[in-house]
Amino acid sequence: MMFRNVAIIGCGQTKHSSKRRDVSLPEMIEEAAWRAMEDAQVTPEEIDAIVVGNMQGFGGVAQPDQWIGDWIGAPGKPVMRIATGGTTGGSVGQGAIYAVASGMYDKVLAVAWEKHSDSKEPGATTGLLHVALANFFHAFNYGMNLKSLVATTVVGAAAGVAVYQAMFYMHRSGCRIEHFDMVAAKSRRNAAKNKYAHLQWPGCTPEDIAKTEMVAYPFRFGHICPASDGASAIVVAAEDIAKKKEDKAWVKGLASYSDEENQLMSESYGGVGILDASEQMGCRVSAMKAYRMAGITDPKREIDVAEIYQPFPSQELIFAERLGLFDEGKAWVALEEGEMEIDGRMPTDPSGGVLATNAIGSSALQRILEAALQVMGKAEEHQVPKEVRNAVAHGWGGVTNYTTVTVLGDSPR
Amino acid sequence: MLHLEREGIVRVKGLPFVARFKWSTGFLMERFIKSLAEKKLLGAKCPSCGYTYVPPRSRCGKCLTKLGEKNLVELSGRGVLVGYTTAYVGLDGEGNFVDLEKPRVIGAIKLEGADSTIFMPIGEIDPEGVREGMEVEPKWREATRGELADIEYFKPSR
Repeated sequence: MMFRNVAIIGCGQTKHSSKRRDVSLPEMIEEAAWRAMEDAQVTPEEIDAIVVGNMQGFGGVAQPDQWIGDWIGAPGKPVMRIATGGTTGGSVGQGAIYAVASGMYDKVLAVAWEKHSDSKEPGATTGLLHVALANFFHAFNYGMNLKSLVATTVVGAAAGVAVYQAMFYMHRSGCRIEHFDMVAAKSRRNAAKNKYAHLQWPGCTPEDIAKTEMVAYPFRFGHICPASDGASAIVVAAEDIAKKKEDKAWVKGLASYSDEENQLMSESYGGVGILDASEQMGCRVSAMKAYRMAGITDPKREIDVAEIYQPFPSQELIFAERLGLFDEGKAWVALEEGEMEIDGRMPTDPSGGVLATNAIGSSALQRILEAALQVMGKAEEHQVPKEVRNAVAHGWGGVTNYTTVTVLGDSPR
Repeated sequence: MLHLEREGIVRVKGLPFVARFKWSTGFLMERFIKSLAEKKLLGAKCPSCGYTYVPPRSRCGKCLTKLGEKNLVELSGRGVLVGYTTAYVGLDGEGNFVDLEKPRVIGAIKLEGADSTIFMPIGEIDPEGVREGMEVEPKWREATRGELADIEYFKPSR
């Protein structure tokens, strides 16, 4: 394919917590943006273009991209907002990569965020009003009433999807709820080593998680991601600029995928009819394309660390398999054997992942950022102890099935 | 729940959601709002380029300098009307337009010592008498509470 090599040369993020009441939306966003520019040792004047995004409808500001420009040095430059639901951050990162790889711009800043605490309702409820309901209103035209719609397809939006996904996966793989306890405990422990993470619990054990109450079978309270306030940002630069920088993570391959399943069209009302909600072919196809672009033929051997989008523990296992890192239906076996730990053979989410920190619009950009930190060797306490030559970053969401896969490495393609 | 009121219109009632927001304003904006209780108007003056914002903000949009509490300045409250319009039609809260009993003037005001403008209702003057460049001052609510509504409108200076 004809495009320029690009690299990530700077990373910045805020500390994540459930409430950042001390800052307004642009004040929170600029924290991450300025940290990324400082890390890349570039001034706002040197940035050519900016790609921004958060989950549409969340935070109650319809066009936040119009509000933040003067806080991050945007005036006079192209600013493009990308919103692909839960995957937004992955698309924002890839959008910045497209902009540089195409040859259009040399240095592009990508910023993504969520500020859940600006909603007065618990969790992400106000966002769901927009996404879960507005996206499914068309079902009324098929004669479905509101109660049935809420009861069958959009039960808790992402959680509603993930419970089915988890059940399908358990049924076909032999994975048990105890393995979700193990993934969740690992996430809390890893997050305790990540100073920017939200839910930190040093020494958390699967037994600790198992004591938390059941919310929606098979998920316990301890299995569920938080609603975080926070932002993350990266600076993407062209090859000649990146080569002069000491710290960089090269973009080796990327792909994304969307299909009708994205709108749950097959669940109840005549779509493409995917029967297994944990099938997630979008992730498999994206991974295959991204690996091919990266020249990776054996991901089990060539990928050193993975940052997987996993608001729920089952998803870390499902997507790890779909990313080709473990055999079909066997990720939970590898988990039992400690392979997914920070010091394991195939560390997954050493940052704690989305299960520990979920500022939704930012979450998939954080996967790219965290993968970049691992490649650069700058992840500090949650740096994996082995040499990192290639890392894979995954994003999932849309409504329920929009995927991004980005492969980073220590050398250009 | 689901009501077919007229052909082609699907009206949905009884949503299991409420959507309320409580946007955080940031520290300087909070100071601005709370100072209204003392009938004070605060701005932020950039130490690098001198641009003065009302309401205050924590990053200069002109030169990107970080601004803080030490950059807050108190303004006299007097200002100049730099642009205006008169509204003759309003909304009745039910989704309908209504003719206003009395036309309302709304204007852009550049406060003394500020570079940015604020938009406020203009009161105590007939629409025919409003001119660009006229001097205006705030009409404060009698009991101020530290909220934006503490200024009812701006009126011609006497």
